[in-house]
Amino acid sequence: MKSALDQAEAVQGAAAAAVRLTPRRGRLLREMAKRYDLYLMLLLPIGWYLLFQYGPLYGLQIAFKNFSPAKGILASEWVGLDNFHRFFDSYYFNRLLWNTFTINLFSMLVAFPIPIALALICNEIPSRKFGKWLQNITFIPHFMSVVVIVGILNVFLSPETGPINALIEALGGQPIRFLEDASWFKPIFIGSNIWQNMGWQSIIYIAALSGVNPQLYEAAKMDGASRLRRVWHVSLPGIVPVIVIMLILDIGHFMDIGFEKILLMQNNLNIEASDVISTFVYTTGIQKGEYSYTAAIGLFNSVINLILLLLVNRFARKVSETSLW
Amino acid sequence: MRKQWKKIAIGTMIVPALALAGCSSGNNGNNGNASASPSGSSVVSETGFPLTEKPVTLKMFTRIAPANGPFKDMPVFQDYEKMTNVHVDFTEAPTDGFQEKKNLLFASNELPDALYRSGLTQLEATRYGASGQLIPLEDLIDKYAPNLKKLMDEYPEIRSGITTPEGHIYAIPGIVTLGAARTDKKWINQAWLKKLGLQMPETTDDLYNVLVAFRDKDPNGNGKQDEIPMTARAGTPGQGLPIVNLMSGSFGLDQQLGYNINIADDKVEIWMGSDRNKEMLQYLNKLYKEKLLDPQLFSQTEAQYLAKQGSGATGVFFDQTNNNFLPIQDQYTGMAPPAGPHGDRLQAQASPIARDFGAFAITNVDKYPELTMRWIDYFYSDEGSTMLRFGREGENYELRDGVPYYTDKFLSVEGAQGKITPYAGGGAPHLIDDHVASFINPPQVQEAQEKLDPYMPKVRYAAPMFDEATAQKVNELRNDIDKYYEEQSTKFIAGALSFDKWDEFQKTLKKMNIDELQKIYQDAYDTMKK
Repeated sequence: MKSALDQAEAVQGAAAAAVRLTPRRGRLLREMAKRYDLYLMLLLPIGWYLLFQYGPLYGLQIAFKNFSPAKGILASEWVGLDNFHRFFDSYYFNRLLWNTFTINLFSMLVAFPIPIALALICNEIPSRKFGKWLQNITFIPHFMSVVVIVGILNVFLSPETGPINALIEALGGQPIRFLEDASWFKPIFIGSNIWQNMGWQSIIYIAALSGVNPQLYEAAKMDGASRLRRVWHVSLPGIVPVIVIMLILDIGHFMDIGFEKILLMQNNLNIEASDVISTFVYTTGIQKGEYSYTAAIGLFNSVINLILLLLVNRFARKVSETSLW
Repeated sequence: MRKQWKKIAIGTMIVPALALAGCSSGNNGNNGNASASPSGSSVVSETGFPLTEKPVTLKMFTRIAPANGPFKDMPVFQDYEKMTNVHVDFTEAPTDGFQEKKNLLFASNELPDALYRSGLTQLEATRYGASGQLIPLEDLIDKYAPNLKKLMDEYPEIRSGITTPEGHIYAIPGIVTLGAARTDKKWINQAWLKKLGLQMPETTDDLYNVLVAFRDKDPNGNGKQDEIPMTARAGTPGQGLPIVNLMSGSFGLDQQLGYNINIADDKVEIWMGSDRNKEMLQYLNKLYKEKLLDPQLFSQTEAQYLAKQGSGATGVFFDQTNNNFLPIQDQYTGMAPPAGPHGDRLQAQASPIARDFGAFAITNVDKYPELTMRWIDYFYSDEGSTMLRFGREGENYELRDGVPYYTDKFLSVEGAQGKITPYAGGGAPHLIDDHVASFINPPQVQEAQEKLDPYMPKVRYAAPMFDEATAQKVNELRNDIDKYYEEQSTKFIAGALSFDKWDEFQKTLKKMNIDELQKIYQDAYDTMKK
């Protein structure tokens, strides 16, 4: 129903636009001339995008070539899809895809709702002081560098000297070599990510919650809604658009999160679970100089990412009327 | 307004995602593909010092190890500049991340005049040589490097180990004629052996029993079970497992042609899928399971490993010298390779005479290749090597019977030795022979080497040089196979993978075309024999 209406509106709009095309363009130019200073400011970010985001796209062609630095990008020999075939036929292909997918999927399933819950809690805490305190405590870890975080993990989880294993031993268990066990890799990686980022990610929800109309709460209170009911029926619906946008933004990074951290945590004993596309690109491409091959892998990765993003956006538009475009 | 915001947001997102793939390329510079060197040769004098009348500056890219100080403060480069009239401007990249910095230099084509202590792999040398970024050096060596040439004539395997099938030399190695600098000794805690009344282990079973005693009988006498019976370096991912390389000889697994290869009756066998290898991994797994092998074997850092050597709490470990445990050196002695279950007794781990392949190379932007060649050649003489390794006479070293020794005063300053010489940290392009070995080859190390000598393979074939296409093929095959072998061996040893999976392991190696790789090495061996 809704989409039919939308369509009708869109058709109307298009027709109207066609009629008014010329005057509109003139108006845009006049508008631009009038606010030229604002548009001048826009030049800087546009330039940045052209230079650092669109410019490098030119180099993508090496994915289809046998790139030789001395010959340069254009003169390198064209090999078609060879690099892609090599990747698809590789022994590591399934593992890389599986790990990249599962790590991100679990991260999303587990890590995505937590900041929302945290924001709702902060919002409901009657003491403002305690609420602020909680917020600060939870977002401080966000400012630590990845190297420090992995260092902390190493210290805490060390089988010889770490407090976690000391506790396990005190309770009569055997120390666990957390960081050298493939089955522990994903829980540790995702868990520490949550710890590090939940406070930071909750900020945007807290901001959104403050924008919910207080009259709605009062009305709900009048109707005898309990605190939980108010969260469920007022707070949550109030921030759904933000949640959806954040979800789509997260999907936009679906295939490329946590590269440095994974690389730092990786070793031969957990690599079964920790080998992902981005670390493979780094170790093979940058360290072994296989630029064309890894450019192909990177391109493949990005294309999957783009498809996911388009799918999720379409899905979100269908079910919740909120989407990026 | 809101719609617009969304558009911008989506734009900001997709574009970086797409750009990810392209980000490693960023090159379009094609500056000067010409491999012919522009003139400038006239500056160099044919013989003697200074190398040039007119001062010349050369830019070199180098690796700086944690032990080193800045290169410009090293006495060798200060004094050598005065001698030669050549100023060298070093760009120092730390060992961590050196490999990627080096690759990016070539990928972006922003090259220095030369690469010093560059650790180029054979593939890199062939690849960048074929593309013209590195210049061929064979003629320059003939004309301008008398010391190096003499060494190459004396040891023909140097030349064959660095010359491509087309007859070019793109990189000069660090040359080690001193046998003791090419092996890792097997150090065993003789103080513990004596205290527990044990014999020096002669077989792998003996070794097992000794390690059990080290673990259980509290040889360091502190009442705690804190002894580490055996440990080894963790190794760098992609470069093999040190513990495997060090123990393989006892299981009849040699390391010929610079790879996991046995040669018998002119047949090349890559032994990674063999039953002997299974036996070795099972043995190591037994040690690991019973805590006879250091549980940190796969995760310790170099610093942790060196600290264990000096702590005296370790039973058996492996290293080239005794430099890391000098204060307690009497506790340790060298051990011969133990004989394995089939009676094999081999010191498989050993480097060829051209130990540090790709230590020095000249690029196509160097205006003075002749001068550069003369500059580096000096370090392949005793005199030059002494200067490089020992610094300044009087200040850093003194001559005893004509042989350089660090002065006691200089050695008493902790950490000072590594600061003054680029050899500390390995891989410097120079000659290591008896003359300059007083520090790395003291009597204790010589003795430990003598224990190994009878068990060295009769011939050691160096890694063969392939032509570019073959080198690329070998690289593709080995990227997959080596990664797989390393991972699976680690898991077999650590017990994360059961030996029931051995068949699967063999099958996967086959699937990765290990036979094709073996064929390539066989061909290379046949060509070499001809």
